[in-house]
Amino acid sequence: MTTATPPITPAKRSISASDWWMHIFLIGIGLLVAMPIFIAIFASFKLPQDITNYPPTILPEAWTVENYVTAWTSTPFGRFFLNSVVQTGIIVVANILFSILAAYAFSFLHFPGRDILFYLVVGSLMIPFQLTFIPNFVLVTEWGWANTFQGLTAPFLASAFGVFMLRQFFLSVPKDLHDSARIDGASNWRFLWQILVPISKGSISAFGIFSFLGAWSQYLWPLIITSEENWRTIQIGLRFFLFDQERGADWGAIMASAVIALIPTLLIFLIAQRQLVKGIAMTGLKG
Amino acid sequence: MPVSRKKWTQFKEALEGYLYLSPTMIILGIFTFLPIITSFTLSLNRIAPFGNQMRFVGIENYTRLLTSADYWNAVRVSLLFMLGTVPIGITIAVILAIALSYPMRNLSWLHRLLIFVPIVISSAVTGVLFSWIYHPVVGYINYLLSLIGIDGPNWLSSKDWALIAVTLAVVWRQLGFNVIIALAGIQNIDGTYYEAAKVDGANVWHRIRHITIPLLSPTLFFLVLINTINSLQTFGEINILTDGGPGRATTNLIYNIFVDAFVGTPQRGIASAQAYLLAIMIIVMSFIQFRGFGRKVHYS
Repeated sequence: MTTATPPITPAKRSISASDWWMHIFLIGIGLLVAMPIFIAIFASFKLPQDITNYPPTILPEAWTVENYVTAWTSTPFGRFFLNSVVQTGIIVVANILFSILAAYAFSFLHFPGRDILFYLVVGSLMIPFQLTFIPNFVLVTEWGWANTFQGLTAPFLASAFGVFMLRQFFLSVPKDLHDSARIDGASNWRFLWQILVPISKGSISAFGIFSFLGAWSQYLWPLIITSEENWRTIQIGLRFFLFDQERGADWGAIMASAVIALIPTLLIFLIAQRQLVKGIAMTGLKG
Repeated sequence: MPVSRKKWTQFKEALEGYLYLSPTMIILGIFTFLPIITSFTLSLNRIAPFGNQMRFVGIENYTRLLTSADYWNAVRVSLLFMLGTVPIGITIAVILAIALSYPMRNLSWLHRLLIFVPIVISSAVTGVLFSWIYHPVVGYINYLLSLIGIDGPNWLSSKDWALIAVTLAVVWRQLGFNVIIALAGIQNIDGTYYEAAKVDGANVWHRIRHITIPLLSPTLFFLVLINTINSLQTFGEINILTDGGPGRATTNLIYNIFVDAFVGTPQRGIASAQAYLLAIMIIVMSFIQFRGFGRKVHYS
């Protein structure tokens, strides 16, 4: 996103008054947009008795990590977090592996029905989750996979988006590279893993980020496929934490658990913002 | 024999191709394509709760929907929600994208960081953050309102305000995505148009009104479609903020499907009928979007 911007307003060499106004406007708006996140982070460090003070403040008067201790120990929150890590890990690894293989077949190999199969994969992007989640629930439950990692992950192991995105990149790789490797006696398998994957690291990791964000944030499927507390993911844990009547509204601990749930995605954003933004701008998809 | 060796190589390559495709095709086949049929079958049956007893009832589930007050309420809520999120979300996004496209030499990374950050926030976290912000007594919104002498409502348990509260939360979560798409569209506009307009003495407002907005129309079209699809799929925030209530004030179509299929006595037949109707709407819009998207890729 650092490419030259078309000058809606004339580019100026020195910082002018209107530049300053623009900075103030954009920083103000930016702070307003990011405010819910700041509020949650600061609230999570407030003393439990301070959090419902009126008038509400943004910064804590005294800082404490007590809310994090409560959040982590009072519910099986550690278990929820672990469940999310494993569930997300399985989905991301499978997505990357299966998408690389399928994208390779679609871009370097020749076989009957290739184009039809590719259209099927792309077409599957149009089938909304609303259509599939009830039959998938029935099927996965029949298989006895409710409250298991298989149940949490199976419907999401393949990614049509990933196949599409990686195929686009693979097609931009010169065919000569493939031909000469094959003439030198390298199998498709070796060419794929020793030449193609290393030079595609950028695209693969960009897709990995999308896959991670999608899997970590999942809501409806983990909600219906896990009925036992021990199998909840962190996103579902948040909901039950919020609605737990016995605990009353311990907002400090609730905010701490929300912060724990958002930290992995926030870190990804801070590290890979450029790739993420470029990926969205190019594909128009969120993964 | 060279011919048969060539055939053997082709055969091996085909076999390898199918092998590489098989994990993806098997998963998509079972969990995406098969449900197109099974979902339809479910929608033609009445399914006994907790059992595998299915009784074929033809289109009865569909005709029952026509006279179901709950279904029409969900249609109404989905429409209102769409009419709220789509125009508000896109208008804010375009204004911010125009501001962000203003050439500035420093700090633009900070502006972008702050405005894009909602893209990584999940709907569950969004729900929790906003349930705190909307808190009737110590929430920030009602506090700010009280500063200008307004006695804020109990947002999430008021029939009049709950849907508006959910709308704002969802607009917030989608903002980063919308701004990124709008900004990319603005940056694709040929800079010479602006140069020419400047020579003709057009001011900033004229340039936005007569160059940016018209040339952005393919992007705006794309944004309208994808935001409409997203608004029809909104579930997480509703589940956390209002649980579809108060009453049924925030029960949209997908929420109604969820309630019918999974809450209380499951009625998976009628839930599948609703899912089928909703999916057809979404597929039609996705199809239009894909054709537009393909064209955009083709010509750029």
